[in-house]
Amino acid sequence: MLDLMVTPADFVALVNELGRKRRIIGPVARGDRYFYEEVGDAARLELGFSYAVYGPKSFLFPAVETLFRFEADNGSFTAEPVYDDRPAAFVGVHPCDLHAIRLLDRVFAQDRRDEHYLRRRGATMIIGIDCARPCNEGVFCADMKCHQADEGFDVMLLPLSDGDGNRRWGLKFGSAAGREWLTYSRRCTAPTAADERAAETFLRAKAAAFPRALTTRVERLPELLERSYDSLLWEATARRCYSCGSCNLTCPTCYCFDMSDSLDLSLTSGVRQRLWDGCQLPGFALVAGNHNFRPRAAQRLRHRIFRKAKWIRERTGVAGCVGCGRCDRACTAKISAVEIYNQLAELD
Amino acid sequence: MKPKIAIFSLTSCEGCSLAILELEDQLLDLLGAVEIVNFREGMTERAWDIDVGFVDGAVSTPQDDEEVRHFRAHCKTLVAIGSCACLGGINTLKHYQSGGATRDEGAAHAAGGNGRVAEYRRYVYGENAEWFATTPARPISAVVAVDYQLPGCPMVKEEFVELVKCLLIGKPFRLPETAVCVECKRRGSRCLYEMGIICFGPITRAGCNAICPAYGSKCEGCRGLVSPDAIAAAGINLREQYRVDLNEALADLRLYGAYQEALLP
Amino acid sequence: MAVLTVPKLDLAASAYIPTPARIVRTEQLTEMEKLFEIELNDPRRLGHEPGQFVQVSLFGFGEAPISICSSPTRPDTFELCVRRVGTVTGRLHALNEGDVIGIRGPLGRGFDVNEMHGRDIVIVAGGLGLAPVRSLIQYIVDERGRFGQFHLLYGCRQPSEILFRDDVAAWRNDRRLHFLQTVDKADEQWRGRVGVVTTLIKELPELDPQQTVVVIVGPPVMFKFVVLEVLARRIPQRSIYCSLERRMKCGIGKCGHCQANQVYVCLEGPVFKYGQLKGLREALD
Repeated sequence: MLDLMVTPADFVALVNELGRKRRIIGPVARGDRYFYEEVGDAARLELGFSYAVYGPKSFLFPAVETLFRFEADNGSFTAEPVYDDRPAAFVGVHPCDLHAIRLLDRVFAQDRRDEHYLRRRGATMIIGIDCARPCNEGVFCADMKCHQADEGFDVMLLPLSDGDGNRRWGLKFGSAAGREWLTYSRRCTAPTAADERAAETFLRAKAAAFPRALTTRVERLPELLERSYDSLLWEATARRCYSCGSCNLTCPTCYCFDMSDSLDLSLTSGVRQRLWDGCQLPGFALVAGNHNFRPRAAQRLRHRIFRKAKWIRERTGVAGCVGCGRCDRACTAKISAVEIYNQLAELD
Repeated sequence: MKPKIAIFSLTSCEGCSLAILELEDQLLDLLGAVEIVNFREGMTERAWDIDVGFVDGAVSTPQDDEEVRHFRAHCKTLVAIGSCACLGGINTLKHYQSGGATRDEGAAHAAGGNGRVAEYRRYVYGENAEWFATTPARPISAVVAVDYQLPGCPMVKEEFVELVKCLLIGKPFRLPETAVCVECKRRGSRCLYEMGIICFGPITRAGCNAICPAYGSKCEGCRGLVSPDAIAAAGINLREQYRVDLNEALADLRLYGAYQEALLP
Repeated sequence: MAVLTVPKLDLAASAYIPTPARIVRTEQLTEMEKLFEIELNDPRRLGHEPGQFVQVSLFGFGEAPISICSSPTRPDTFELCVRRVGTVTGRLHALNEGDVIGIRGPLGRGFDVNEMHGRDIVIVAGGLGLAPVRSLIQYIVDERGRFGQFHLLYGCRQPSEILFRDDVAAWRNDRRLHFLQTVDKADEQWRGRVGVVTTLIKELPELDPQQTVVVIVGPPVMFKFVVLEVLARRIPQRSIYCSLERRMKCGIGKCGHCQANQVYVCLEGPVFKYGQLKGLREALD
């Protein structure tokens, strides 16, 4: 099941070679937390990181992105699209976040294509890292069936050891681009029978290492939600919601955005940008004339949970919630998605 | 015709006026679009035919009261800049020195003048305190009609530029209706609650690009409350989720006058 | 059906770039509503379906979704009826003939006119709801031979809010259609009916449930009352159309603002059949 093996030092060298042609983005430490950042030297990457505070969307779907630049032109105007399709390699993406990227890929390719996302994504190689155990308390990725990923990467790294306890990365290809990158590299070696056994041991240990937090099966959530639309649960939980949007903005699968113009001081040119937005913010469903289609925090909370556990999957065929726990961690009111799912499960 | 702009100060550090000078290269572009006719920090000549007047500082003395009415009478559009002008700001702290348990009670004491008022005024002004008349500190909107507010300590320069652009093209200007958390997340900062710090980001109006939490300092609410709903949620959460005494936690929010007892649940 | 062919989209281009278009005529319809006749700068025609919308772009101000209120059977230009309620619409009202704006679209799903061909049509419009449905009215008037009976019911709050007065006068005198009009509150000059639009339904002759299509466009509360009357006349849910108002921003089913429950109104609407709204609890809030 493994394609190649590489030592950690050789892998850093390989990424640095890749870095001559591509921007390298990966987890770096700031204090005791990890953030995805661009690095000049792959040695800075903390590939043993627990979790990135913000998911891969912070790079693939930036918080603020210019869509086009406009300029008044002799009674008319010109508008030039702005694309960021510089080649990049995203090194160090855990399975939950690979699932999240898969959702973004679907959403932005579905119906009318979004070239701004798709061009950046198309120029980005993704190197996943499998995790041996839950990255943090409170995650429920295994419940959402997102703690493993068989696709959505160019190369996947498995953290293995050889017989002497030396750390080695086991490599699996997920695309032709990944295969092309490494197949003829002299830094990689072919996996031995012992390596294969180590990989099997790793996967067995992993399967046992993820406790379940959900008291029902993920497949049951859509029906449980269907029966809970008018539950008082939404009101009871949302009474403490700040409507600050932190859950949306830290969620790796939240892709809603606002659009806004910024004029240069000349007042004749400027940019139209999109910015991360969130359905929990009070004005999200406001229409001109000031009618708000979701004026209450309870309605907004229900909307978010329905999207995450039901509607997104119905629409795209992939998970809308990957169980990474970022929303729960970000909520200063300690509103927890998994707790809500479990309260719904009481109906079961 | 370029709009004529004036910048005035009441009781304050005048830091918001200075922030305009700090715009540096943008200031030159701005000066191409407007004409500054009255600005103590930047010029000596004065004129009183004014399209847009920016005022920093709170109304905290009888002279302030008189001056702000004068500004209003001579400015077609009047803009409050900074926490002092928008909320009362740091100046309102004196109310709590006068023996009042709440801002309004304190303000009433300060207006009436009791023993503690005399005491803190001596502390501030020294022996001849009685030469310096003061009144309760108020936002300028408590005295005159204000067209726009640019809160913050100091005001946000970028927001000032945005307002000027809006005025120039005739676009309605609105403050963000979201909490600081939105900008904190957009800029990728680490949440201070994870470090056990009660930050006021969730209840404070955005627009500052969450600069304090980005440098590890908690938000102190200098831009005022984002909404009454948010402070109601804070009351519930601090009591039920954090077991923190609400008054103690929110006492910090008094710093900029954003703490409004009447809004508490 | 040449008029309904949609121009080929350049799928490799950004979906967010507006096309320059020129205001060729404006008309103040009421105190709040102004009509804009628009011509795209490039030779391409808009090629819309009745009931679709466009995003109107004013740089520095932003975009506003506006339904197209003219029929594709009049293809050289198109018309937008704009209520002055926000930043973009406020600015738009200040623009004049010759001014250039940006247009994205046509967007969304309109009325399925092919399905309506050969059938009796009842259109019930309330208030500003007349604007999106006017594209369909014009279409039926222009292609009158392709439809059966045509009843047009229009109500608004007061006479000063009546939109498209020239059209209304023409409809009243057009013997090929049955036009009924009411206002909620009369003024001194008003000689017509007084009462909510629902009362007009009672004046309709018997409708053949299998043969009739009913289009209801107006505020949600009006929609609910009219649907009651129409269902009572045994019109099937698949033959009842409505148009939802939401805040479309991207217009292409991504940004999330226009969602009614799970549905992206900008993609699957704004025109829906009543049967499609089942389970969409937010649709008629």
